[in-house]
Amino acid sequence: MRTYILRRLILVPFIVFVVSVITFMFVRILPGDVAVTRLGAAGQNCDTCVQKVRESLNLDKPYPEQYWLWFKDAIRGDFGLSASSTQEITPELRERAAVTLQLGAITILFTVLIGVPIGVISAVKSGRATDYFLRFFSILGLSVPNFWTATLVVILPSYWWQWTPAQKFTTISEDPVKHFVLLVLPALVLALTASAYVARITRSSMLEALTSDHVRTARAKGLRESRVVFDHVFRNSLIPLLTVIGLQAGLILGGSIIIEDIFSIPGMGQMAGRAVFDRDFMTVQAVTVVIAAVFMFITLIVDVTYAWVDPRIRY
Amino acid sequence: MAIEVPAVSVVEPQLGPSGLGRRMRSVRRFIRRQPLGTAGILIIVVLAVLAIFAPFLRTSDPNEFGDDVIVSPSADHWFGTNRNGQDIWSRVVYGARPSLAVGLMTVAAALVGGTILGLTAGYLGGLADLVISRVFEVLNSFPAVLFGLVVGVALGPGLGTVILAISIVFTPAIGRILRSGVIAERNRQYVEAARVIGAAEGRVMFRHVLPNITPLIIVLASTTLPAAILTEAALSFLGVGLPLDQASWGKDLGGQTRSYFTLAPWLAIFPGVALSLTVVAFNLLGDALRDELDPRLRNTAFRS
Repeated sequence: MRTYILRRLILVPFIVFVVSVITFMFVRILPGDVAVTRLGAAGQNCDTCVQKVRESLNLDKPYPEQYWLWFKDAIRGDFGLSASSTQEITPELRERAAVTLQLGAITILFTVLIGVPIGVISAVKSGRATDYFLRFFSILGLSVPNFWTATLVVILPSYWWQWTPAQKFTTISEDPVKHFVLLVLPALVLALTASAYVARITRSSMLEALTSDHVRTARAKGLRESRVVFDHVFRNSLIPLLTVIGLQAGLILGGSIIIEDIFSIPGMGQMAGRAVFDRDFMTVQAVTVVIAAVFMFITLIVDVTYAWVDPRIRY
Repeated sequence: MAIEVPAVSVVEPQLGPSGLGRRMRSVRRFIRRQPLGTAGILIIVVLAVLAIFAPFLRTSDPNEFGDDVIVSPSADHWFGTNRNGQDIWSRVVYGARPSLAVGLMTVAAALVGGTILGLTAGYLGGLADLVISRVFEVLNSFPAVLFGLVVGVALGPGLGTVILAISIVFTPAIGRILRSGVIAERNRQYVEAARVIGAAEGRVMFRHVLPNITPLIIVLASTTLPAAILTEAALSFLGVGLPLDQASWGKDLGGQTRSYFTLAPWLAIFPGVALSLTVVAFNLLGDALRDELDPRLRNTAFRS
């Protein structure tokens, strides 16, 4: 077990390193010269100015050297200056990561609260009208694009009752209650999709457990159906459930570019989206690496949790 | 001298009348057992008709700027018009084209890539497995939309860009599942038999193992398709998907049109309904196919 975790922990920085190299190459082929964009009109007739900006961004150096200059600071958590706004990236990224983390936590909470009961009920009532209704509901959940649900959540109340969700974001230090209330709607929109996945996995793994021998034994010895379902069936269907929750958590904590933008939430997703359009390659690089690292760690945590839930699994 | 060893098919041999009659019977059986899947197929047929016959079904040119700007749904404009006076019904009809085309082509590309990589990794194991699995992990840890966004901005909007970006995103997802499917097949007797008579590794992989994981591939194709359609819509929503003159549901939901949505909700409702309905239909079909084809899940259909 310990060697397995150790081996995985060694692999994480390796993968993150490869991700950073690929991102580095990709952002360099983004069209448009960030130096010209930054100087605006002043850069039109001043080749030396453009040259100076390019030098300040190390763009005049060969690629391997550029990567090394970025890497030796990044490994200490310093992602340098934004290529478009010349602000420090790391402090902003830290602030935005906290917001995305809060949004993600609330979303996962909703996802489990909505998805698991739907899946359990669907499995227990399988083949009946309730099951069909809930299954159709979960297909709807994973089919309807969340950027459309988010759009409807924003526009319909405004069309009908002239009520719009707040356009200005409240930070946790300004007003904690208002801050979390603001996160509820986007979290619900994100949870709608994620809980559909959770409900489907819960249902199918519960159905598989329902037909297994130990459940028949539990019934045969006269246990109440509720105990059979929760102590014997549900516990045995936890592993696929954990996988899918972990996967969804990884996706959501990576920051949802579109949802954060629609609800004007200053998270990592919004930052990444804007940076790509601004050709701010320094920020794109930083955010991608952080998101990849978060995703890898969550996968690792899920895998380690397996052994804890199911003592039969030994790594 | 290699002797032809027929691969054992997981589909049980069907007795009784052959040809058309048998096929009709299995169609009827599918309709009876999978009413939701049948509904999905019907919706897909309607969509395909919309996409193919779009020039005949439109009421006006979807890209033509009209004088009726932001008109609510009426007899002239069934779904209303947008800020450029473009007819929303015609745009919705034409929007079916890129959605289906991108969906089908990305799934085809991701299937070819995922099958070759997954089969190689799962069957050969060892170094090949190690390398391919790491490639999957790297590709998988890129956030899908961010990856598509960077590729889209780098290569510029276009059908090729979208297909490339989305198929790269879905290749590892397909490859990983196929790899585990192949590992389960690898130690079966028919594989051993083929190797004993001296079939080359490549031949065993593609002529013996591949036919046996075909049901899994079909299921994966049907579950990836709706996801690919959603990703195309998301990229078009962000403005990096298809070129400007191409009507697309995702594009009509994003960009500058958004500021008119509170004034004219029909601009948001119709493309969104079309997109959702398409994805629902493919998901319903995918579920039905999985019930019918995945032998592991088939048992769970019999319930206590």
